[in-house]
Amino acid sequence: MYEITIINLKRFKMKFSNFIFALLLGGLVIYSPGCQEISEELADIEPDGVDTLEITMIAKSSFNPVFLSAKKGAFQEAAELSEKYNLLHVTVNWEAPENEDASVQAEMIRKAVNSGTDAIIVSCSDKDSLTAAINNAVDAGVEVMTFDSDSPDSKRFAFYGPDDQKMGKMLISRLAELIDGKGKIAILGGNPHAPNLQERVAGMIDTLAQFPGIENVGVFYHNETEDDAIAQMDSVQKMHPDLKGWAMVGSWALFGNKLLEKIEPGKIKIVAVDALPVQLKYIKQNYVQVLLGQPTYRWGKTTVEAIVKKMHEKEKVKEILRLEAIPVTIENLGGWSRQLRAWGYTNIPEEYFVL
Amino acid sequence: MSTKVSQQTPEKDRISNGQKFAYGLGGIVNNLLGGAIGFMSIVLNVGLGINPALVGTLQAIPRLTDAITDPIMGYISDKTRSRFGRRRPYIFIGAICVGLIFALMWQLPPGNSEMFYFWFFLIGSIIFYLFYTMFATPWVALGYELTSDYHERTRLMGVMNFMGQFAWISLPWFYAIMENDRLFSDSVEGACTLAIVIGIFVAIVGAVPAIFLKERFAATEDDSEHKKESMLAGIKKNVAEFSKGLVTTVKRPEFLKLCAGTFFLFNGIMLVGAFSSYITIFYVCGGDNDMGAKYMGLFGTINTISTLISIAVVTWISSRIGKRKTFIIATSITMIGSLLKWFSYDPMAPWKVLLPAPMIAVGMGALFTLMGSMIADVCDLDELETGERREGMFGSIYWWMVKLGMALAFGLSGYLLNATGFVVEYGGAQNSSTFFYMRLVDVLIPAGAALIAIFAVGSFKITEEKAYEIRSELEKRRGNEVKEVVALQGE
Repeated sequence: MYEITIINLKRFKMKFSNFIFALLLGGLVIYSPGCQEISEELADIEPDGVDTLEITMIAKSSFNPVFLSAKKGAFQEAAELSEKYNLLHVTVNWEAPENEDASVQAEMIRKAVNSGTDAIIVSCSDKDSLTAAINNAVDAGVEVMTFDSDSPDSKRFAFYGPDDQKMGKMLISRLAELIDGKGKIAILGGNPHAPNLQERVAGMIDTLAQFPGIENVGVFYHNETEDDAIAQMDSVQKMHPDLKGWAMVGSWALFGNKLLEKIEPGKIKIVAVDALPVQLKYIKQNYVQVLLGQPTYRWGKTTVEAIVKKMHEKEKVKEILRLEAIPVTIENLGGWSRQLRAWGYTNIPEEYFVL
Repeated sequence: MSTKVSQQTPEKDRISNGQKFAYGLGGIVNNLLGGAIGFMSIVLNVGLGINPALVGTLQAIPRLTDAITDPIMGYISDKTRSRFGRRRPYIFIGAICVGLIFALMWQLPPGNSEMFYFWFFLIGSIIFYLFYTMFATPWVALGYELTSDYHERTRLMGVMNFMGQFAWISLPWFYAIMENDRLFSDSVEGACTLAIVIGIFVAIVGAVPAIFLKERFAATEDDSEHKKESMLAGIKKNVAEFSKGLVTTVKRPEFLKLCAGTFFLFNGIMLVGAFSSYITIFYVCGGDNDMGAKYMGLFGTINTISTLISIAVVTWISSRIGKRKTFIIATSITMIGSLLKWFSYDPMAPWKVLLPAPMIAVGMGALFTLMGSMIADVCDLDELETGERREGMFGSIYWWMVKLGMALAFGLSGYLLNATGFVVEYGGAQNSSTFFYMRLVDVLIPAGAALIAIFAVGSFKITEEKAYEIRSELEKRRGNEVKEVVALQGE
């Protein structure tokens, strides 16, 4: 034992040159994390001359999960941009009425302007009621951008949202594939006075001309509730028992479980706009074949990015920025579920994450 | 199976730690130069608005010129006779020139057209790569000949590879430095300044191997033959010799096995590098870029640390069991690590993506440590059979093959991604079949490529015993006629 110790000690006797060599190598080993630490320390120190860009985000309602995911997108983008630009600090203030109310939104815009916000992003519950509030904000030097629901006659500099006509076209094209281009279909049109929904209907009607084998039995409007939507479906199916498909401009009929008891899975093909967690069971159980999901997280991310581009980078931003809908089917139900989770949605069945 | 005792390295064949360090500095410069343009080229697109396709062309064209200039430089260096040696003058001048041209090529004058920048940078790149070849090819060759000892070569390559990793660690920081708005008004100004810093570093540090290392061999031809020839006859003879040497080199089976082993192992991993990132971000993290970036960053850190550790371990083990066996074990670990990825991509437990990182790093750490050492053994065998020392030719062809493979891997990667059905706009909401194919490619290509590499190198015939036999023959043949060149400054 004693001998071994001596031998080992001899072995570890180090020449001076070896010591220097080991020191240099050791230095190189710690070089990388060392650099990182220095950079991080530097990053924590607030340098002089940092601009702060305060953005107020106003949603339609505070509990709607689509706006909560938009909020997450806005906050994360603000943090990323603040990290990217050392001389810019981006903050987002989140505001939303409990329930949809354009007058409350108008008041929120006014308050934000008075509190000195630099920019506002808003999803308009009513385009006409908010036009004046948006114009006043712009006149006061505040940049305004709309998302999801526009106020096209206002002085807002840009809008980020879907191309509704294109969504309508996508729905009919998908439905035509599902019924092999022939048979009767019906369109569930939601609120006949909502311009975005009627744009979708127009896109559908246009596209139907490409499928002579498909007969559209009509566009059926209803109040935007689950019960009214299902009641309308019921009555149309009674009138047309040979109906092969439904194209829905919105997913009111899928916002609960009632439709599960009313129809047979896969017998009538259904395509619809929106793909929120509550609707996913309809895809999983083959009641609905295609949902057009909107990447609502990007409502926040893209709008914050556009404002920084315009106000900090002084670059031109396109007036209309298009959000591309994502078709959700049984094939990508797992991917979409994981994506929704990443965007901040909850109440998604865990078993979907491993599909 | 017999247990062999490895031969000890005689004192005269040992390379001092200082010399290993000096050679390793060349490794840092070599990797820095190899990666810097790629990491900084983003400025051409983001800062100057050059079309990404043109930026891609700017990176591809020099690969074509490399195919010609690399072996020519190898040949020139092998045949050079000077009182400073046949490698060191090129390393010294090459380092200074490449540092200078690197600094100059990024001084992009503002306010010009896209095509102006394209041509400015293209011409700059071609000149840069010429000088880069002038530095790197003799530097690689010098490493093969610094010692005749079977194991000392591995130790030298281990130090070089270890130190060279620090260039790869620093490269990803370049974009953040250039984009730092506290330091520069824009990324173009950032690139201008960073290029000057890199240029100075390259010129100074790159010249260190030329100053502090000594060469062991001089060109073996008789000078008197050349003096009698006309210039034209000399050119003709050189072209003929170059062609013959090129053919001899690429026909040498042991060399080809090493090339195949490197090509498959290295490019198998490079090819799916992007896939791993995409799968982590879009499948495991469901399209959450922040979370994906965090895991990719951690993966990279674990990979780097594991590579550094594996270089040391591989160097030590190879002196016990030999280079071939060590390569096979290390590559097998990488293969298992690649297969493990199939189970580690779990959306319910994203942390599992980190598990294969240390295993994958082992093969990569071993690769450039052992290959350099094994090519040096091939150079000895080549000398035994041809009577010439042609480290330059072997090194240049080997590294050109690596660079070409890397370019092919990057090019093919995009096509493979498209073939899986990936649609970037869908983010995390890709089809299940798309994710399945992405995972399949990510697992099977590197694992399959590692298996081919094992088979290729598995039949490599220069074992430790064989290497010492070759060396003994060479020593006998050289006798006292070994031409050791007096270094400007040696130990």
